[in-house]
Amino acid sequence: MIAAVRDFANRFLGRGDATITVPSFDGALKPNQKLESAEALLTCESPQDLATDGSNLFIADGPRLICLAGGTVSEVRSFERPISALCTLPGNGLAVALGGREVHVYANPSAEQPSVKFADAAFNAINALALADDNTLIATDGSATSAVDDWARDLLELNRTGRVFKLDSGSKSVTRSAQGLGHAFGACAHGNAMLVSESWRHRLVLVGAGASPKVVLAHLPVYPSRLSKASGGGYWLTAFTARTQLVEFVLREPGYRRRMMAEIDPAYWVAPRLSSGRSFKEPMQGAHIKTMGVIKPWAPPRSYGLVIRLDAEGQPLYSLHSRVDGINHGIVAAIEMDNDLVLIAKGPGRILKLPLAGLAEEFRT
Amino acid sequence: MSDIALSLRKATKLYAGVPAIDGVDFDLRRGEIHALVGENGAGKSTLTKVMAGVVTLTGGTMTVDGAEVAPKTPLEARNLGIAMVFQENSLVPTMTVAQNLFLGQEKFYNRLRGIYIAAQQFLQSLNFDVTPTATVSGLGAAKKQMVEIARAVLHRAKVIIFDEPTASLTPEEKKYFFDLVRDLKKRGVSIVFISHALEEALLLADRITVLRDGKHVVTDDVAKFDRAAIVQAMVGRDLSNTLYGARKSTVRPAGARVLTVQNLKMAPMVKNNSLSVFAGQITGVFGLVGAGRTETFKIVAGVLKRDFFHGGEILLHDQPVRYRVPAPAVKAGIAYVTEDRKVEGFFETSSIARNIYLGLLSKFPGGRMMLSRRETDTVGKTWIERLKVRAIGDDGKVVELSGGNQQKVVIAKSLVQEPDLIIFDEPTRGVDVGAIVEIHELINRLADEGKAVVVISSYLPEIMALSDRILVSRQGKVVEEFSALEATEEKIMYAAIH
Repeated sequence: MIAAVRDFANRFLGRGDATITVPSFDGALKPNQKLESAEALLTCESPQDLATDGSNLFIADGPRLICLAGGTVSEVRSFERPISALCTLPGNGLAVALGGREVHVYANPSAEQPSVKFADAAFNAINALALADDNTLIATDGSATSAVDDWARDLLELNRTGRVFKLDSGSKSVTRSAQGLGHAFGACAHGNAMLVSESWRHRLVLVGAGASPKVVLAHLPVYPSRLSKASGGGYWLTAFTARTQLVEFVLREPGYRRRMMAEIDPAYWVAPRLSSGRSFKEPMQGAHIKTMGVIKPWAPPRSYGLVIRLDAEGQPLYSLHSRVDGINHGIVAAIEMDNDLVLIAKGPGRILKLPLAGLAEEFRT
Repeated sequence: MSDIALSLRKATKLYAGVPAIDGVDFDLRRGEIHALVGENGAGKSTLTKVMAGVVTLTGGTMTVDGAEVAPKTPLEARNLGIAMVFQENSLVPTMTVAQNLFLGQEKFYNRLRGIYIAAQQFLQSLNFDVTPTATVSGLGAAKKQMVEIARAVLHRAKVIIFDEPTASLTPEEKKYFFDLVRDLKKRGVSIVFISHALEEALLLADRITVLRDGKHVVTDDVAKFDRAAIVQAMVGRDLSNTLYGARKSTVRPAGARVLTVQNLKMAPMVKNNSLSVFAGQITGVFGLVGAGRTETFKIVAGVLKRDFFHGGEILLHDQPVRYRVPAPAVKAGIAYVTEDRKVEGFFETSSIARNIYLGLLSKFPGGRMMLSRRETDTVGKTWIERLKVRAIGDDGKVVELSGGNQQKVVIAKSLVQEPDLIIFDEPTRGVDVGAIVEIHELINRLADEGKAVVVISSYLPEIMALSDRILVSRQGKVVEEFSALEATEEKIMYAAIH
């Protein structure tokens, strides 16, 4: 009863859970336009994930597995379903998640048949794969109800059904390491435990065996996604879009959301997107307006591009941005290859490359 | 008749021995629009207040139409044909426009109808679209300003001084105001206007005078200026020659996020303000007067309250907090060192030790029934030594101290609480040079010890010398962030103005 009164008062006063606020991009997250200066290696139809064995760059583009080596692009193979996650394994192996519901492990990228197939009934939206220190696979599953590409619905339904699985190729077993996460999207081994992105709770958590997830980094102004290891210790964390007060407000209005989801084309929902500005029908944010034909870079974004360099403890060191007036939005994957950082900007469907040299000196404050 | 309507020679005004303006020469030509620009504390307001009879000169002379004058009151200045339109207008809100216009000029018997007709005719002659029967409280900012201007013209003002006239105007109202000023110029009225918006000065003025640190820097025709030249003149100190030393070559890395302010609102001063403060760093907050810096951090410290509805969120160590009074903020580890020490900082007739001990008392949950004299003396002595407070004796009263030592007492009162987050609001305002260096050393030491330190200052060299990161505030919110390594005075000032 007291909780109900408190909830009502909070909604009325705009406090507590009903506070419609978004953290600012400051400190290590201070905006810049570095991602706009990245070289576009390739434009794909539907890039989803990246992996590298050190010399080849593998790109999941819809159902196709593409290899980029020495400037040459070749299609390695194609699957019957879209690839939703990718991970290279020791000894030239490759793991792919298909349609979010199956994970296949291949001895090499062009092997005819998978050496191991994981098709657990619990799998629904496997969106990232990573290699654990004990050579098992870590898989994050964003939602138990919404498909991989239907993440906007998962957000608007306020689902908290994300899970983390450990897949052991040796024993062919699947173990659930965590559940009840706000859209688990990306993981990386962190000693014996693993760092996991919780997109809808805007945070990183440390998931260890037999313990509740421990918050490592919270109150991010973005929806965090995949993680990868960085040279010299630490991680790269991608964020597929930024939070805005408008979306936060809509998330607190159940009646509005229900009607919007029932009656409006999903492309025009008031929800974060991976790209924007393509149609006049898109909902505009208050400040997302053109002045003299130019979108103000600091306007609240519908889509955004961001990758954050974290230290070994998971704390931000610096970040690379594509602001609202940029193009390279919807960064869903970032990995280091040679001396470059390779990224997927899913909004425009681009594979981007940024030299790592000098990045830290330029942006670390 | 001379071309000069008003002039000041070697104008000096001292406040408690500190010059607000220092040997300033100023000439105002007949029928010219003259912009006065400068940083906060440059002496613009003091200079115009001298002209308007609000303050009197300590040294130097003032001449109007060639005759030496020394107006001691605004009335005397008005009789000389000088009127000042203040930022906060001086109209009586419950009276009508016409009554305000004729206030102070009433006859023995007044007919309201007569006043309204006269006001109507007069306002029409100025082409002002204001209804004389309207009550002032119901007018918008621009119309109020029109009434102020009309009153000045009605009083046959030959010189009208505007202090930040456009601060409260909408863009449309600004345009109308500029037309009004140009019209006044055509009538032969000389205009002085203070503005932080350099665009306005460049657009409207015939000549521009730049003041810095109470001294005249340059006066020239507007054609000789551009934005860069004005900003350079406003801030162009040689940093290497100041007591703050050379600019930083390294910055402290950010530690854990201690304070997060998200979409904080307190109408009308704080507007959707968001910022973060990190441990082990000095976060400098710069902005012009009215930028909402002090108000934001007073809300953080529980001195002020945010808006009741949808007032935003404050997180301390990632936990939401809402302080209605300062005491719980103090207990949570937030110390706010006020900018107005004489009013909010200490009990001036109490001893130094007692003042410092009071800071410690506020940290104790539930307070204390009994005070320990011995503990008071011990705590007082420790902090007097630690901060090198120079007092005549241990029992000396705070009122007997110099400004710098008073400030040290205020700081000691906060540091005795062992806070995690320390907010210094104008820490060296009215402080002697020696104490400035000591206070800066102390602030740096706190950051080196891993405390989260915020320094709010209107003085750019101080911000540049102390801060690891610099937040620039404008119109109630943080609009720009600079690392100390990338910041320049010009960049900071540009962000603060636009």
